[in-house]
Amino acid sequence: MAAQSQAEPAASGGPTPAPAVRKAVVIGGNRIPFARSGGKYTYSSNQDMLTAALDGLVARFGLQGERIGEVAGGAVLKHSRDFNLTREAVLGSALSPETPAYDVQQACATGLETVVSLANKIKLGQLESAVAGGVDSASDAPIAVSEGLRRALLDLSRAKTAKQKLAAVAKIRPKDLSPNAPSTGEPRTGLSMGEHQALTTAQWKITREAQDELALASHRNMAAAYDRGFFDDLVTPYRGLSRDANLRPDTTMEKLGKLKPAFGRSLGDEATMTAGNSTPLTDGASVVLLGSEDYAREHDLPMLANIVDAEAGAVDFVHGKDGLLMAPAFAVPRLLARNGLTLDDFDFFEIHEAFAGTVLSTLAAWEDDEFCRTRLGLEGPLGTVDRSKLNVNGSSLAAGHPFAATGGRIVASLAKMLHEKGSGRGLISICAAGGQGLVAVLEAR
Amino acid sequence: MTDTQLNEIPALGKLYVGALGSAAKARLSAAQAPQTLPAARHRVTGARVELERLADFQRLVQHSASDYLPSGFVHTFAFPVAMSLMSRDDFPLPLLGMVHLRNSVEHFRPIHYAEPLDVTAWAENLAGHRAGTQVELIAEVSAGGAVVWRGRSTYLAKGVFLPRFDRSDARGPRPDFVPPPPTALWRLGADAGRNYAVVSGDFNPIHLSRLSAKALGMKRSLAHGMYLASRVVADIVQNRQEPYEWSIDFDSPVFLPAAVSLSISDTEGDDGYSGSTFVGWNQRSRRRHFAGAVKALPA
Repeated sequence: MAAQSQAEPAASGGPTPAPAVRKAVVIGGNRIPFARSGGKYTYSSNQDMLTAALDGLVARFGLQGERIGEVAGGAVLKHSRDFNLTREAVLGSALSPETPAYDVQQACATGLETVVSLANKIKLGQLESAVAGGVDSASDAPIAVSEGLRRALLDLSRAKTAKQKLAAVAKIRPKDLSPNAPSTGEPRTGLSMGEHQALTTAQWKITREAQDELALASHRNMAAAYDRGFFDDLVTPYRGLSRDANLRPDTTMEKLGKLKPAFGRSLGDEATMTAGNSTPLTDGASVVLLGSEDYAREHDLPMLANIVDAEAGAVDFVHGKDGLLMAPAFAVPRLLARNGLTLDDFDFFEIHEAFAGTVLSTLAAWEDDEFCRTRLGLEGPLGTVDRSKLNVNGSSLAAGHPFAATGGRIVASLAKMLHEKGSGRGLISICAAGGQGLVAVLEAR
Repeated sequence: MTDTQLNEIPALGKLYVGALGSAAKARLSAAQAPQTLPAARHRVTGARVELERLADFQRLVQHSASDYLPSGFVHTFAFPVAMSLMSRDDFPLPLLGMVHLRNSVEHFRPIHYAEPLDVTAWAENLAGHRAGTQVELIAEVSAGGAVVWRGRSTYLAKGVFLPRFDRSDARGPRPDFVPPPPTALWRLGADAGRNYAVVSGDFNPIHLSRLSAKALGMKRSLAHGMYLASRVVADIVQNRQEPYEWSIDFDSPVFLPAAVSLSISDTEGDDGYSGSTFVGWNQRSRRRHFAGAVKALPA
């Protein structure tokens, strides 16, 4: 029911960048290869995988016994027992047990949010070093008991007399005994994320071919990056995997074209979203080492990129005012305005491929005169993203998407790309459930 | 108009049993049915909401568990008073087998669950319908002497034709319904009718099970219209403070289990939110189940 538009660019009174704070730098990253759900990591828990990713980072940067300023991490599909998931992973890792940690959860933006919030603490001088990260397991997902059984069990635990206990047990119905598995459905709409995106994809008239092309590019780019050793210092093998299990270096437009629509089937001929141009359920973990410039210098560690700025956004998707995954389309223009940048000022675009349709709908929105005028408050289209700069080492369609681990994957890879190039900027855009999005700017060093 | 004071909100179950009895009696005696609506109002004063029932209702229609009553809940609270009127011997239409055609409600202010409520119900606008005879039941809920909620429910007694009404012509061709892009999907289990019966007290057998529905000539059990209405209105209105009205027309029954696609569209006027329209249809057959609107009322 929100009445206001999001047409409030930062130029007209939004927040401005803080003037004199220190720089927060990306020192490096580490992740385990991402596995398809039910694959190599089926019996690895979130804590196992996050610990493995942390230990790989420790080994890579010589952090054994090191007391890191703070570690932030999280998972989207989370067991209630994992209330201190990140701290437990730290305790299980080779980091000093005196390293504090906290958990974050912002759906698929979790990983990037840990980077942003820790970078801000570094900028403010509250931290010298930090590790940001995230993990998710779709295989080892929490199973909850039904609402009826849960309430009856809670009543039972509170019951004091035999009569009260009997009354609590008597409330349990046979149907209450079937468990609830987590789903990717939006709680307020009952539509899965894929069904939501299918509507957005159709609304922006994104073709099947364009989506398959994006998926193909993702696989090819990532395979090439693996082949030239780009991921050698970003990925540590785990449980027999040394590359992302979802990666299909030999996929073709023909193979992708044969897949049947998986989402939006009620659209009939307009259904374009398949298992090939949508991310699969994935298991994996990633972490990023951040620090102040002083910390990096004192420890003789590399400085790959600066975390410049970030912006969160959200859209009113519940009654279809905007598409579920379109928040970054609003957040990026605000972030650019605040930093006096345009799309032409970037050398790399890392737009998370939740679905090929998400990336292409976002790009289409930024090229659309009416959308940019009426919804973004701009004077014309935001601009065009140079496709040769988009997800140049592959993205989630190839790697897979263990929800909270995607942010760390992208930040570490982009920081390395920027450092390799030696100059320029990169833009990160991540959409998230609940109509949210988080976007960030990194610059090379 | 005579006013009949009831001691409490009547139990719907008893009314249904009574209705079964009078239906049987009417068939046996072939008594001449009355031709006009009783000029009577039924009233209950100082009625109280049971908090546990409210919480169950809110959970079922996915309304946040606030201290204020969802609009659909007020209907279930007041409805038995209207139903007691329909179960009077001098009511011209049989209570059982009535089909719910339409609801319209004015909700004037948030109603706290602890407020004692006065409910007044009466019937008006008995009219012919191509499939039988329709009637409107009005329930008015007051708190502290002011009307806070007014609901108008239109029912159809299918196959009951009163001599004083001409049989209207058969319906014109139904306009083709082309579903808009959905904004939500409701998956309703076979138990959706039973669950709503528990929180609403409306144990009409057509909602309870395949067997009990078949006994009344339905192929399967069906969802309560007021469940559908309550849920969609809860989604749109949530904890709105300002006055509003809503209405819903029921087109085709939702046989259970069901996948109901829904489209809600909000509109904004110069002063912000002005209202919403909604439509629900069967995801597979694309048959329209219901459509309606919510509108902001001037404060």
